[in-house]
Amino acid sequence: MSKKSRSKLWFLVHSWLTLPIWFFVLIVCVTGTLAVVSQEIVWLATPKARATQPSDDAPLLTYEQVLSAIHKAEPALAVQSISRPDESHFALVASVVYPDGRSPSLYISPYTGVIQGESPSFDFKAFTRALHGWWLVPFTNGYSWGWYLVSFLGLPLLGSLITGLVVYKKFWKGFFKPNLRFKHGARIFWGDFHRLCGIWSIWFIAVISITGLWFLIQAFMFDNQISISTAGNPPVVARQDVPIMPDGKPAPQISLDQAVKIAADNIPGLEASFVSLPSNAYGHIEVGGPGWYPLLFQTADINPYNGAIEGSRMIADRSGLELVTESMRPLHTGDFGGLWVKLIWFFFGLILSMMVLSGLLIWTKRTALATANALKRSEKPRRAAALTAHSQQPEEANV
Amino acid sequence: MSKAVAVQPTSTLGRLWHKWRFHINILLLLVPLGFMPKYFADASLFRGDSGLGERDIGTVQVGPWSLQLAELRNEAPRPDGPAGYMKSFNAALCDTCIDQVKAAYLRIGKPRSLRAAGVIFFGTPYRMGATLPIPERTKADAELWITLEGWDGSMHQAAIPLSQASPATIAWLAQRGAK
Repeated sequence: MSKKSRSKLWFLVHSWLTLPIWFFVLIVCVTGTLAVVSQEIVWLATPKARATQPSDDAPLLTYEQVLSAIHKAEPALAVQSISRPDESHFALVASVVYPDGRSPSLYISPYTGVIQGESPSFDFKAFTRALHGWWLVPFTNGYSWGWYLVSFLGLPLLGSLITGLVVYKKFWKGFFKPNLRFKHGARIFWGDFHRLCGIWSIWFIAVISITGLWFLIQAFMFDNQISISTAGNPPVVARQDVPIMPDGKPAPQISLDQAVKIAADNIPGLEASFVSLPSNAYGHIEVGGPGWYPLLFQTADINPYNGAIEGSRMIADRSGLELVTESMRPLHTGDFGGLWVKLIWFFFGLILSMMVLSGLLIWTKRTALATANALKRSEKPRRAAALTAHSQQPEEANV
Repeated sequence: MSKAVAVQPTSTLGRLWHKWRFHINILLLLVPLGFMPKYFADASLFRGDSGLGERDIGTVQVGPWSLQLAELRNEAPRPDGPAGYMKSFNAALCDTCIDQVKAAYLRIGKPRSLRAAGVIFFGTPYRMGATLPIPERTKADAELWITLEGWDGSMHQAAIPLSQASPATIAWLAQRGAK
């Protein structure tokens, strides 16, 4: 095969990858882009999810102060966890259960402890993530097939990146001489746009497709009971450590602030961005947050009766392989470095969505014809007749 | 170009593919639309907006205490890899016993001691859940045992027929037994 026809073939592969499912790919890209900033969209749409500092020097409340404030306002509420989003303009989120069994999240002011409101029953953040992550297909036995469907797209995405770079001769020149011609018709413009966006998002497409493929591998491993985890079973408070109370009342527990202090004193670098209360009398207080490596959380399990640290999961506890695989999710979602990283992920998500669209536009304007011609050239006349009939279908001819 | 030629539509199947390939998009979009009601029903179930579970079992008296019991899902046990088949129940403690009960457990068949009381409930007294393994050889007349442990060290037990706790599980067992 000549060099020219080989590159022609690469070009056809690039053009045809995922083409029949272009709209599905587009929606997955768009929902993923929205999911990156879903927390920010909720912030924009829901005033009660915001945190406003009453005065410039108003200090942040500690976890125990927040818990007391909640109990003072709603004595019957059961609090399960309190988390502090990593951007200061967000209210604290407390997961609670009402006596009637409803378990919404509450938005709490980090400065006053005032309950600002309940999360709406339509959870935009969870919905966009479910739509993007598993196409809303329920998990009934292991991973849902929607998860496989979406994560499989990592393969054609990576394929598009590689074949795109192969057919784009000397693509690195595009970095120095950006080319975007407006006055030469739509086909030229979209072609330039596709190439320009493509070279600047090489890193992003590589990150998204590789991490997406990891989600596929992760599901496959889970469903086939293959585990690489070095984390043991979650610890349980020993029966003898849970006091028996002659008066029949619950045993006293250490405060959340004591738990946070114990964790911080014993585990250097642990920053508490959430505290989970024990999930039953034999459960631990869990304190967790990011450490020196911003992509992963570290957690400590503290015995609520005697304050002993009975379990922890630190960066250093992870094997090298786990450091890589556990970094996949934050790399995919861009939620490891505050608002700016999210905005970068959002921007390139938009670009990627536009690349799906511009690729389709180029295809309708060029590749359909090129394919038909290529086939015609190498075909015997009698088969060429059949082909012409096909290429006259409206979707290929000139949409 | 030979490879590209090889995929060109000549057979009936190929022609059908050629004509309908872009309609795969529509089929794929119907998937989330079809699952949307299920998604929102599940979201409401887990948020506790639609009650304790899909099917209420009723109030069970356990010694001086009582609790409300519900099946999380009104359906057969679900497979959970090597752990076998699992069935989830939710419970809520009575108002007066919230401060007295230290822990609640579920087991199929009578536990010999507190240490073998079965799976423990997680959550808050208003809404807690336990996921119980259901052995495939469970008898149709088996009983679901509820053990409550008090902060004072006391222990109280009660049992209800599995057929009352989960008719779907009994139907599933009967079906598997028939095979």
